[in-house]
Amino acid sequence: MNLQAIKAIYIYEMARTRRTLLQSIVSPVISTSLYFVVFGAAIGSRIEEVEGVGYGSFIVPGLIMLTVLTQSVSNASFGIYFPKFLGTMYELLSAPVSFWEIVIGYVGAAATKSLIIGSIILATAGLFVPLRIDYPLVMLLFLVLTCVTFSLLGFIIGIWAKNFEQLQLVPLLIITPLVFLGGSFYSISMLPPVWQTVTLFNPVLYLISGFRWSFFGQADVSIGLSLAMIALFLAICLAVIWWIFRTGYRLKS
Amino acid sequence: MSTIVSVQNLSKTYGSGLKALQHVSLDIAEGEILALLGPNGAGKTTLISIICGIVTPSSGAVEVAGHDVVNDYRESRKLIGLVPQEIALEPFETVMNTVRFSRGLFGKPRNEAHLERVLRSLSLWDKRDSQAKELSGGMKRRVLIAKALSHEPRILFLDEPTAGVDVELRKDMWETVRELRASGVTVILTTHYIEEAEAMADRVGVISKGQLLLLEEKAALMSRMGKKRLRIELQSTISSIPPTLSRYQLELGSDGGSLVYTYDVQAERTGITALLNDLSAAGLSLRDLQTDQSSLEEIFVGLVNAEDGQNG
Repeated sequence: MNLQAIKAIYIYEMARTRRTLLQSIVSPVISTSLYFVVFGAAIGSRIEEVEGVGYGSFIVPGLIMLTVLTQSVSNASFGIYFPKFLGTMYELLSAPVSFWEIVIGYVGAAATKSLIIGSIILATAGLFVPLRIDYPLVMLLFLVLTCVTFSLLGFIIGIWAKNFEQLQLVPLLIITPLVFLGGSFYSISMLPPVWQTVTLFNPVLYLISGFRWSFFGQADVSIGLSLAMIALFLAICLAVIWWIFRTGYRLKS
Repeated sequence: MSTIVSVQNLSKTYGSGLKALQHVSLDIAEGEILALLGPNGAGKTTLISIICGIVTPSSGAVEVAGHDVVNDYRESRKLIGLVPQEIALEPFETVMNTVRFSRGLFGKPRNEAHLERVLRSLSLWDKRDSQAKELSGGMKRRVLIAKALSHEPRILFLDEPTAGVDVELRKDMWETVRELRASGVTVILTTHYIEEAEAMADRVGVISKGQLLLLEEKAALMSRMGKKRLRIELQSTISSIPPTLSRYQLELGSDGGSLVYTYDVQAERTGITALLNDLSAAGLSLRDLQTDQSSLEEIFVGLVNAEDGQNG
């Protein structure tokens, strides 16, 4: 394995994060803080508790997921799309690296960035609302798995995208609505039965539910099912990437 | 000299049906400068892209120092540095970081001393902390060369290295290439500037429509294919060429004071002696004689036109 190459890609990508610190880290933290103010303080003051947890605290896992999912997808998609756009892809394709090494470098960097942002948001949330984490290890496992899985998804989108519009399309039209409708700001038990059933088809529900379970020990669906679902997403993303590299889809002619 | 790159019966047909390469075979000797000449779209870039691993061949095989470029790509690619045709650099990254990245990508541990040597040799050391977007076009091209040299390759591919580069910089680039060869690096360059091949190459390959039309020593090529022209300055002007000289197919200069005789260097008899005798017999006195040899450009145009003629 070409560890030097993985390291080089990882360091190079993390350097971009440092260069664009304001856009990469500060901006998502500010926007999430705004959610706390609007949903937590303004609206939350009118909602007493959701399943025994103060509303402000209840939305913390959902908000972290919202940011981590969108950031993972956009970081990773941009990371691999940029060399395509600039034409520097030739270097990756002509280097003695396997496709999996390229994936580890890019996805590792994108996932690290999302993990940092998620942790900062968690710390910021602690300033606004009282927080408790019942299962910190499970929380960390969920966070890492989500960062990695959705960075893989972002990587796929970055390879697929032919222009900047397509690059924005999936996060904007698919990821964000799924996260909002996946119980970020509510428990699905608050929905009418029909919509509860519909929501069960939203894959993001399982992530948010499992993540929330690690905080408060309560969830919309069982923790086992949540873990199984994220493992399934991970497997699907890995399979798609394996296919992309086997066929050279949008990479090689 | 031993063969460092061996291309066997290589073909590439793109998804669109375009046959970019057709049964190309060639051996590249270690330490030589090989120029691949051809018009735009001839298949030059496809050929080097296959050797470097960017394009998958449809059939045929390529070995680099005995390593198959598909099955043993890690070993083959370690030996190769590629300078692409288009300037492609991350605009906000510094020269040093981008070169460091390339070295790491090719699996080499950090070696700041080597990178310093490379950057100094390309007059980029002073610009090491500049972002790529701050550099001129010529400097950006040199950064691409620095990236390709960062991992100490034994073979360097330069795809149209001086396309769109001004004359002075082009001469600098040639000098750089000669220095690289002197340090033992094998250089393969594609170009459609005949002048470039003529100035630098040891051997010249001509590619047109995906086929390698010829591959040989530049000097041998020029003498084999080359025609020489004998320019004869006359003491007095004439209005037409005397009929007794018609078999020489002479051209009369516009001022009527000179004749041009074109002959084949390789021919058993060049006909010069006979021509001079016949000129004297026709009563023409000579003032001066001079010869010049056809350039690679004329040879190249001749070859490509001949192929067009056959296909057409």
